[in-house]
Amino acid sequence: MQEEAKAKELEERAEKTFSAERREDYAVLIVAAIVVILVMLGIIDKKVISAIYLLKY
Amino acid sequence: MGVGVDLTDVRQWPRMLPGLLVCILFAWLVLQYDKYVIGDLHRGYREASRVLKPIKEGKEPLSYEDYVKERQESYKKAMEKYQAGLEKKKPSKPFILKKEDYEYIVQNKAIPGKFTFGERMNQFQITYVAVLLLGGMLIRNTIGVPGVLQPGTVAARPFIKPGIIILGAYYMWSDVLRVGLIGFVLVVIFVLGANIVISIWGKRAKADDGLMGLMGAGVGVCGVSAAVAVAPVVNAKPRDFFYAIGTILLFGTLALFTFPYIGKLLNLHQAVYGAWVGTAILNTAQLVAAATWYGHEALLTANVVNIVRIGFIPIVVLWAIYYYVVRPARQAGDVTQRINTWQVIKEKFPIFIIGFFIMVTLNELKFFSPEVRDLLGRDIVKIFMAIGFAGVGLNIAFDDLRKAGGTAFVIGFVAATVKAILALLFIMALGPEPFIIKEK
Repeated sequence: MQEEAKAKELEERAEKTFSAERREDYAVLIVAAIVVILVMLGIIDKKVISAIYLLKY
Repeated sequence: MGVGVDLTDVRQWPRMLPGLLVCILFAWLVLQYDKYVIGDLHRGYREASRVLKPIKEGKEPLSYEDYVKERQESYKKAMEKYQAGLEKKKPSKPFILKKEDYEYIVQNKAIPGKFTFGERMNQFQITYVAVLLLGGMLIRNTIGVPGVLQPGTVAARPFIKPGIIILGAYYMWSDVLRVGLIGFVLVVIFVLGANIVISIWGKRAKADDGLMGLMGAGVGVCGVSAAVAVAPVVNAKPRDFFYAIGTILLFGTLALFTFPYIGKLLNLHQAVYGAWVGTAILNTAQLVAAATWYGHEALLTANVVNIVRIGFIPIVVLWAIYYYVVRPARQAGDVTQRINTWQVIKEKFPIFIIGFFIMVTLNELKFFSPEVRDLLGRDIVKIFMAIGFAGVGLNIAFDDLRKAGGTAFVIGFVAATVKAILALLFIMALGPEPFIIKEK
């Protein structure tokens, strides 16, 4: 009985995790789209990337 | 990939923020190292060797001013050739040594120690990937990651996904289709093959259905994600779930740290190595890390094979439904059990790979200039990957790996190893040509 309850709980957790992954996929698509748009608009350019690196020869 | 946390749940954000910030900081620090040691110092070593060669041959060294002038002029000439269409590849800006380093080389007839260090780190592939993964693992298993940071380190792992999407800016459809088609064959033979073999072997060994269903999906297709997708279908018990995840993580971790060195040992072409890890490593994060570790070309090939592979998750779920639900029911005389194929595909298909295809299409339509493509496909991808790898490294806990055990572990581990060996032999026999992604 306890085993069954645990299995049910895991099943629910797995379903929940998978639907969270699905939502995560949408979020990831949005993040990627925003970054590409910022690059295309020139807001993120070589200078911005270069500013991230402080250690330079 | 982010099992245990929900990135889209705003209520969980305060819980994730501290760990995520730590991962970003960790990634940033390691990227500083990578840019300086693997980038600048390694280039410095090559330049120092070039300068040293004529000096060792007894030629009179140039003064520093003449050396700088000579480098600038040779770059100018190369640019003129490129602009006149005589050279296809745009020359990169020359690496010019600092005065003190140049004078050290001239006076001592030796390469400064810092450049030799950069060369050695590069030789042993101690790039940002290795430092983040090994360093993360070391931190996790020695001083540990405090509970307050753990949700955030888990949430950092999916940062690899935007990297996978943006990397699409490097591909043309002809390459994606060519490598994807061969990737499809590899996935059918090795990945689905491993899944089916594990299911049948498990039945014969009288191992638990739930456990073997998880193991087949996990070892065959996409590690933890596939195991999570299949768990409800096969009525997995919590213990089964942790056994399967433990086995998947253990194999993935061993593969991650050994495959790049096996590749170097066998002198594998980047494209061959990429196709191999794309087929043999069990989950996206570890696969992308192992490929990036080896080189950019390896990552380009591995990414396509991986996309084909994770596109197979719905098929693995369909197989699990058939093998563990429909087939036994039919054998017991119940013909009412049916599979709703479209529903399974709709629910289990990894949506984010559509973003990759959109990027490939935009590149095909010449939407990106070469500069933008480089910025997206190299610099920005590297930042996303670094944050993701920080999360992967900080989540490799030996305690989790110890959860692997029993008959299922033996079956899963043997199947994964045999799959990796056979896939390597098969891909080596095909050679690099079918797997090369030409950067355009």
